[in-house]
Amino acid sequence: MPVIELSLSGRPKSARVVGIDLGTTNSLVAYMSDSGPEVIRDESGNALVPSIVYFDYEQDRLLVGEEARDRLITEPRKAIYSVKRFMGRGSADVQEDLSLVPFEIAPDSEQVIGFKMGDRVFTSPEISAFILRDLRRRASQFFGEEVTQAVITVPAYFNDAQRQATKDAGHLAGLDVLRIVNEPTAASLAYGVDKKEEAIVAVYDLGGGTFDVSILKLKDGIFEVLATNGDTHLGGDDIDNQLISLILNELESGFGKSFSKDPSVFQAIRKLSVQAKHQLSNSDQASLEIEIGDAGERYTRTITRDEFQKLIHDLVERTLAPCKQALKDAGLSPGQIDEVIMVGGSTRIPLVRRKVEELFKREPHVELNPDEVVALGAAIQADVLSGGRRDLLLLDVTPLSLGIETMGGVVAKIINRNSTIPASAAEIFTTWVDNQTGIDVHVLQGERELVEDCRSLAKFTLKGIPPQPAGLPRIEVKFLIDANGILTVSASDLRTRAQQSIEVKPSYGLSDEQIEKMLLDSFEFAEEDIRKRQLIEARNEAETLIRAAEKALSGDAHAFIDADERTTIQRAVDDLRSAMGGDDHHLIRDRMKTLDDSSRHLAEQMMDSALLGALKDRKASEVAEG
Amino acid sequence: MVTADTKMDKQPEHGCAYCEAQSDDPHFCSGCGKIQPVRDDSDFFTFFGLPRKLVIDESALESTFYKLSRQFHPDYFMGASEPEREASMQRSSLLNDAYRTLRDRIRRVSYLLTLEGYKEAEKKAPPDLLEEVFELNMQIEELKEAKGSGDDADLAQARSALEDALAGLKEKLASIDRKLAILFQDWDRAVDSGDPAKKAVLDRISELLSHRSYINHLVNSVLEEL
Repeated sequence: MPVIELSLSGRPKSARVVGIDLGTTNSLVAYMSDSGPEVIRDESGNALVPSIVYFDYEQDRLLVGEEARDRLITEPRKAIYSVKRFMGRGSADVQEDLSLVPFEIAPDSEQVIGFKMGDRVFTSPEISAFILRDLRRRASQFFGEEVTQAVITVPAYFNDAQRQATKDAGHLAGLDVLRIVNEPTAASLAYGVDKKEEAIVAVYDLGGGTFDVSILKLKDGIFEVLATNGDTHLGGDDIDNQLISLILNELESGFGKSFSKDPSVFQAIRKLSVQAKHQLSNSDQASLEIEIGDAGERYTRTITRDEFQKLIHDLVERTLAPCKQALKDAGLSPGQIDEVIMVGGSTRIPLVRRKVEELFKREPHVELNPDEVVALGAAIQADVLSGGRRDLLLLDVTPLSLGIETMGGVVAKIINRNSTIPASAAEIFTTWVDNQTGIDVHVLQGERELVEDCRSLAKFTLKGIPPQPAGLPRIEVKFLIDANGILTVSASDLRTRAQQSIEVKPSYGLSDEQIEKMLLDSFEFAEEDIRKRQLIEARNEAETLIRAAEKALSGDAHAFIDADERTTIQRAVDDLRSAMGGDDHHLIRDRMKTLDDSSRHLAEQMMDSALLGALKDRKASEVAEG
Repeated sequence: MVTADTKMDKQPEHGCAYCEAQSDDPHFCSGCGKIQPVRDDSDFFTFFGLPRKLVIDESALESTFYKLSRQFHPDYFMGASEPEREASMQRSSLLNDAYRTLRDRIRRVSYLLTLEGYKEAEKKAPPDLLEEVFELNMQIEELKEAKGSGDDADLAQARSALEDALAGLKEKLASIDRKLAILFQDWDRAVDSGDPAKKAVLDRISELLSHRSYINHLVNSVLEEL
């Protein structure tokens, strides 16, 4: 029997770089074709993979996308969705969000939120990695090569920890993340790639969970971001929640009890709300209908577009302040914007379009599919990074100011928001008391004055300073925000020129050790994939072997073997067949070997007789093949 | 980077970090064409190939910024060696920092002052403004009171008084900016002619910047109240 060699996929490694939009609601992957960027679809033509992961602990397997979505209503506590809202955050940050989702949170979620699925706990980057791995598999199948390099998009207003968490997720999914690209910037690439004339462009990106606005100057193939602003906690989910609350309240007054703690009903209401929201973008009213409990009681009502618009009016208004701030930061008035680009599924809502048009005094562009435009842009950037084209260049900015804690809990800004990245700053630190050998540095991100109002990024200690009088040591710390918007820190002693070692402890997010551990865990799941394939292959081969054996037994076997040997072979066939019903490919292989061994004598006999050309005309090879 | 540093010590001027060539181009080696690590002594003006002058052609500055961005950006060094990638990152970030500083005239002149050995301009009230500052503080208090009392007429009056004061402050800022524009030209001329009086120009600029910073601070606190 030939030994079957299995590489992880059996496919050669690809030099291709794909673009991935890892969205709150849906995710997708795109690539650069000869004719331009294109999304990769599945057999049924779907580009979007719902960003939902379900862990089936009884069968020890993961479901991603549509399959996981089907479990939302039947097993709502075990299907994780909207995980992007929890990326790079600790449990204290997202109390409100957590109250709106039915997931079980692991106890130690202060720094990285862990979601309980069955008896296992997965962090946000791991859940995202499952989605990324699904997209990677889709792309690898499409190309017939193993895709290992990607550009992944994030909301422009994501902070350092959220970006790092996204990069970690890519790493966990076996992807080399060449670049983290801001979603509105990617969208502007997809729109502006063929434009030759100079233009100022505003990108309004209202996605499933996040809102971004970016203002760019397009000139000679350079896409220079002038300013960006946003809200990483404002999106389609919040719009859904308005409808969900309305329905829950009406149910409570109608049925005299609350359903908010009933995950199944909650998910059914959520599904209904999303459908109604979609419908109200195209028609003046939508009907809400839901069956409650076993008694077959029903809740029905129609909602008009007017009612819906009143419900979401404040949310839509909340997007306008960031737009105005971005304009101000760019030093522009609304009239100076040449084009407005709409991105994200929520920009299908007529009220959103109207408000944006009023603000910028321009009819916004909606030609490209708002769900796909970010991935298309990511594919263009992926092409640039893989050396495909040099006529385009993105110059993006850091969305938030970087600062360090100074005396009295005040934050001193060292890199201002909207600085073009890569950006750097150097600060010189010294000691406060004689013979002090360490200096604590606290790095923060945000626009406010006080430490408590900014986001803690990391704390570290400059160690090993030679004992000297206070104020004498001069340690220079260099802060560099790279093209991904991610911070790295290095330090050197200005007197000795010695490089200082810094151990940066991120305030939120995963440590390198945790990631290593997760990588090991994910091999388990990769093994799961191999096991599935090995099982299928073993079953196929076993089937062939059984067919051959049975054919031999039903033919002239009695001429070669006695009844005992015949029984032995028959038993081996039966044992193999029962093993095929299970999912242990080792057992199948073992029993194939038993059948092979027990039928060898018969096969040899038949072969001999065939070779001698004697007796009957038989195809001994059918047996020997096994 | 280590090898690059040792080589640079031997050839501090324009020796290539990778080959033996000497080069006029501070960014790339004219011999092997490789991007060079950033030297410690490069200031923003020399990085852009500009003299230390204060009047700058902004559109030419932008063109240079775009041109150099296309040469340095990490996007184009994904497949390069580790030291080259590092150099691309360092050079890009220095370019961005330099452009951000030079394109804004106040940041530009503040930077020049630091290069010339001045301390960062501290907020300092112009002597003729002290009386107005007292007045302004009173007006802000009145507005706060009016907001508290809820009397619409009082509120409107306090608001309009403060708006007038704001307009006055803005006019003062504009006047400072006009003076600065003239001093910028004085400095540039002094640089060209090697005039020893150029130090006096910088002293004057430094003083005006302190006033400007102070008035700006006042404007912001008024805007916060309004």
